[in-house]
Amino acid sequence: MTGQILAQLCVSGALIGLVYALVAYGFQLTYATSKSLNFGQGELVMVSAFFSLTLVEWHVPYVLVILFGLLFGALLGIFSERTSVRIALEQKNEGWILLTIILGLFLNSCAENIWGRDDRPFPTPISSTPIHILGVDVTPIELSVAVGVFAVMAAVELFKRRTLLGKAFEAISADRDAGELMGISASSTVMLSYALSGVVAAIAGILVSPITTVGPTMGAAVVLKAFSVAVVAGLESGFGIVVVGMFLGALESIASFQVGSGWREAPGLILLILALAVRPTGIFGRAVIRKV
Amino acid sequence: MWKRLLLIRGAELAMFVVLLALPLGINNPYFLGLLTLLAIYGILLIGLDVSVGYLGQINLAQSAFLGLGAYAAGIMLARWNCGFITCCIGGTAFAVAMGALLALPSLRLEGPQFALATLSFTAVTVIFLNESEWLTNGAQGLTVPRPPLFGHDLSPKEFYWLCMALMALTWIAMRNLLASQWGRAFEALRDSPIATDAMGVGTYRHKVAGFALGSGLGGLAGALYAFNFQYLQPQTYTYDLTVILLLGVVLGGRKSLWGAFVGATLVALLPNLLSNRTLFIGISAAGLVFSIIAAARGLLRRTTKPFQALAPVVATGVLVAGGALVSNTEDWRRAIFALMLFSVVVGLPEGLMGFASKFLTNLFRIPPQVLPEPSPLESVLPERRERTATPILEMRDLKRWFGGVKAVDGLSMKILSGQIHGLIGPNGSGKSTVVNVVSGLYTPTSGELVLRGETLPSGSLLKTSRAGVARTFQNLQLFTGMNALENVMVALRGAYPVSRNLPLVLLGLGRREEARARADALALLEFVGLRKEALTPARDLTYGAQRFLEIARAVARKPDVLILDEPAAGLSHMDIQRQMEVIKKVRDRGVTIVLIEHHMDVVSGLCDVVTVLDGGKLIAEGSPAEVKRNPKVIEAYLGEVESKPALPTATA
Repeated sequence: MTGQILAQLCVSGALIGLVYALVAYGFQLTYATSKSLNFGQGELVMVSAFFSLTLVEWHVPYVLVILFGLLFGALLGIFSERTSVRIALEQKNEGWILLTIILGLFLNSCAENIWGRDDRPFPTPISSTPIHILGVDVTPIELSVAVGVFAVMAAVELFKRRTLLGKAFEAISADRDAGELMGISASSTVMLSYALSGVVAAIAGILVSPITTVGPTMGAAVVLKAFSVAVVAGLESGFGIVVVGMFLGALESIASFQVGSGWREAPGLILLILALAVRPTGIFGRAVIRKV
Repeated sequence: MWKRLLLIRGAELAMFVVLLALPLGINNPYFLGLLTLLAIYGILLIGLDVSVGYLGQINLAQSAFLGLGAYAAGIMLARWNCGFITCCIGGTAFAVAMGALLALPSLRLEGPQFALATLSFTAVTVIFLNESEWLTNGAQGLTVPRPPLFGHDLSPKEFYWLCMALMALTWIAMRNLLASQWGRAFEALRDSPIATDAMGVGTYRHKVAGFALGSGLGGLAGALYAFNFQYLQPQTYTYDLTVILLLGVVLGGRKSLWGAFVGATLVALLPNLLSNRTLFIGISAAGLVFSIIAAARGLLRRTTKPFQALAPVVATGVLVAGGALVSNTEDWRRAIFALMLFSVVVGLPEGLMGFASKFLTNLFRIPPQVLPEPSPLESVLPERRERTATPILEMRDLKRWFGGVKAVDGLSMKILSGQIHGLIGPNGSGKSTVVNVVSGLYTPTSGELVLRGETLPSGSLLKTSRAGVARTFQNLQLFTGMNALENVMVALRGAYPVSRNLPLVLLGLGRREEARARADALALLEFVGLRKEALTPARDLTYGAQRFLEIARAVARKPDVLILDEPAAGLSHMDIQRQMEVIKKVRDRGVTIVLIEHHMDVVSGLCDVVTVLDGGKLIAEGSPAEVKRNPKVIEAYLGEVESKPALPTATA
């Protein structure tokens, strides 16, 4: 393998890896407020992508497609929280794992029946003619992924730091009980985090679809890698998921070139198990002291 | 007693007789195939219930173990021409080994991380089976002709009987396991892993063994699955299957053999259920009516919250409406399953069988178990006669720092045998850290712990507990799901020499030990005055009784040194008096006691020696009266004062 091919594999892999990082970011948002995450997140990505595709097919302008897509994602996020997470959090058990898995199953089955089982292309106004930069080919679509991912993450971080609602979000993440005593509603904050997480999932769907096509199985493929990214990086570090996401994306594109495309997903999964075995809090996470 | 046994065992026996007899009456190959599948799924789900029900972990790897068992058996047959029994054993053993391999790193994790690890394992397994064409034939699939058993070609009926017999054996073995110390250990580690270790049971090893066993059953089911379908394909064992299996267990009811069986029935019959539209609409309508009744009852009596009451009604309502509207129900198979599950998980968290067993217990008035006579106390907690007061536990320059905080900073003290040694100090003086370091929860930053002249292992609750130091917890760490008697039985030291061997337990050889352990535990409950509450679940005991139960449980360790961490916190005056009597009685049996306490009257009334800590350092030591007069102690509690102040009393 020449250096140039390697560089090419790394760059295009890393750009896709940013999408995994974005989905993983959605996990971090809900984990921060409620220590729970949506196992049906992949289906949120997929359903939002299908919804946006339908809008595109109805000739809705691209900007509005994105806007409605985000809104739809937020609604799905709120729906997940209301149906599958809140009851388990109220009972202080891990029922949300089961309930979000059930929700994912339901959404997947609905999508299959509404939009069909085939993979479909997602048309976009952004060009897919490669540009030659420093000996590596990059398409504007791939670049739009990078721009989109960073823009969304920056926007959410700004929201958390600059607005009152965002500060409430941070307060509940830091200490739920203290936050509630200060008059912040923890359950609304958790719902907000799920709405944000849904928005992030919808953007991930819209960004990745032009590259990978849209199909009922796209969610499962993305979510497994997002899980790996979130666990390997740790569920707290936003910087960590970007680094690990890009690394993992590059790694899998090299693996699929060298070993065979069937093995494409193996490195991420093995990394996940290894990370959990060696460092359960993730590379960028902090250990907690047990108290009795 | 007999009624209970007759009804429970009778129902099991009746079910197996009917299942075994069914093929004699009905000669339909399709029906026989379903029954065979039911037996195989039964074994698979009983295995899955070990981790999902008893260990309380969301396990998404059971389909991988089914696949690994199936392929191991298939490859042994295809490559090395092994026989029926060898293949079954091979499939099981391979799954046990892989299960242990996965469990070793993953079971240190809790909650979502464990679910993710198992999910990844399933995905990696499918990739491996798909891509390793040299071994598994990849996506083309592997043909596995059913080998003869002892030279006899099995007919479909005979194969069914074999599978059903194996399921019955699995059932019996599992029942033996769950009725033993193992079953209690599983339950205990789910309620409080810290207390499980502190009671010398070993959270981690029980988790790994339990998970490996469940995986092994998955492997056995896999081998039978291979010989049933005689054709294997990697795509069978993906996420979809694993989710459906998991949800089957939940739907049937966790922590129940019957629940696993009901779940298996549903998973096996689901495709047929959906192909018959009238039947499907009938069942969902029944579900709707049931959930409406349950919702109305729950809302009127205010026992359920609106969401919990109404969500199942909406979900089953969508099912009925959908059944009427949608033309092909089979295409919506997974959505339908999801809706059914959603209503059960929200409305009946204990699953169908959890609900049914409560209902039937009331209906038939199944009496609770009868308790034996308690053993004589002398045989449970033999009195030790060491009146010479030699040092039994020593701390030498013990330090525990958390970053810059020196919680314990160079503490040296000796605890003499047969004494009650008080450890007091203002809040934040490092008492709890000392307890946590000595009992093994924290590893000391430096320093040494010596018990009876030998170095005490550090940094492991389990090892410390086994070395002879027991403790109670300031914030109660009872096994809340178990009754008082079981709480004590878990901790009983040296009561289970046979039950430590998993194979012997599966064969049911631990029965005699169980009877003895019950009597012993009852004696300890009587010792602390809780004999009447023996069968009350720990979470339903009064707060005072829970404190006494903590002591009884720690005493069951038959410890050399017993550490009581603020045992009187929050107790009423009367309970405090009773507790002081109990603590004296424990000391009189020859157990050395370290008492951390805030109530000065308790400390004065009980302690032979008192050590006072402040800022992680020892500031005074002596008899309670001496310590109370010590100016440094007074300063630590009240701040610097000029004239002689009043005595420090309860501070917390």
